[in-house]
Amino acid sequence: MSILFAVLFYAATIVLVAGLGLKVAQYVRVPAPLKIPTTPAPLTQGGAAFRVAREVVIFESLFKSNKWLWAMAVMFHFGLVLVLIRHVRYFIEPVPMVITLMQPFGIYGGLLMIIGLFMLLGRRLVLPRIRYITGPSDLLMLVLLIGIGCSGALMVNFVHTDIIGVKAFFLGLMTFNWQKLPADPLLYVHLALVAALMLVFPFSKLLHVPGIFFSPTRNQVDDARERRHLAPWAAKYEANKTMP
Amino acid sequence: MKASWLIALLAMLVAGLGWGPAFADPFPTIPKAKGERCVEDPQYMRRNHMDVLRHQRDDTMRLGIRTTKHSLKECVSCHAVDGKDGKPVTVKSRQHFCASCHEFAAVDIDCFACHASTPEAKR
Repeated sequence: MSILFAVLFYAATIVLVAGLGLKVAQYVRVPAPLKIPTTPAPLTQGGAAFRVAREVVIFESLFKSNKWLWAMAVMFHFGLVLVLIRHVRYFIEPVPMVITLMQPFGIYGGLLMIIGLFMLLGRRLVLPRIRYITGPSDLLMLVLLIGIGCSGALMVNFVHTDIIGVKAFFLGLMTFNWQKLPADPLLYVHLALVAALMLVFPFSKLLHVPGIFFSPTRNQVDDARERRHLAPWAAKYEANKTMP
Repeated sequence: MKASWLIALLAMLVAGLGWGPAFADPFPTIPKAKGERCVEDPQYMRRNHMDVLRHQRDDTMRLGIRTTKHSLKECVSCHAVDGKDGKPVTVKSRQHFCASCHEFAAVDIDCFACHASTPEAKR
């Protein structure tokens, strides 16, 4: 079982890193020929960067459009951040003091995340208009994350695993000094679901994580009147002074 | 073209991961206890010692049942580690049997805010 999980995590990591890398490379290269910032938009590059930051950290446009969905999204994403910070302890040794001090918040973050996820799932199942536009992959992501969250919270609160063994397993993976994974069914479920999430990440809606940084309506500066915008494909005609 | 990208990425991954405290034993040092065997199965204790101790505390404090099977005092006296000066180390030292794993796993313990982390001196 340890070997199976070791292979699974190497494969999942390669797929996640390479897949995300290729996707980001594609996002960088794909043309954004027009100036289309959603107005009112910032007039400076710094302002545009700040707008993207607001979008990433507090989901500004979602707040403006849908308070309920925003609240659910905040519960899930902020909870997830706390949970991820809590999990850092499994991958570095020695553990910095900040991470140690953040540990208890990770537990509450986990509960917040699970509540948020169930509300998001309820939204997709109960609201008729949302249900109509819900595809299988929308539900799959929520169910995967709920499975990960619940198996994790169960291990924290009720059926403990040997976390020293878990950390040794992952440090072992990272230093190519393989160790046994503690034999606990709940841990197997948790890790298998995490690996599944890593594997589907580069092919799914979860790509909104890198994608949000590349959305032209948010990251562009509203300077179309001050500076003429020349799309790369149009530049060569400009140089030759001929019209296409 | 795409394949060369992938290979470069993989090479970077392997090089990056192989760095650091390479090939060191990824376990904390777990000191050997003096007693013959633990009050519970070691595999059980590794996972559930915190619940056992908390249960014992509630029994003792709220119900007045004071047994020795799961008492913190016995854990401390059996698992004590001697420092360089020949005296048992406190929980502040990483050699201490609690601190060794707890610092490794980034779990704070509050037992020793009240209790002693070293065995009682023999009179």
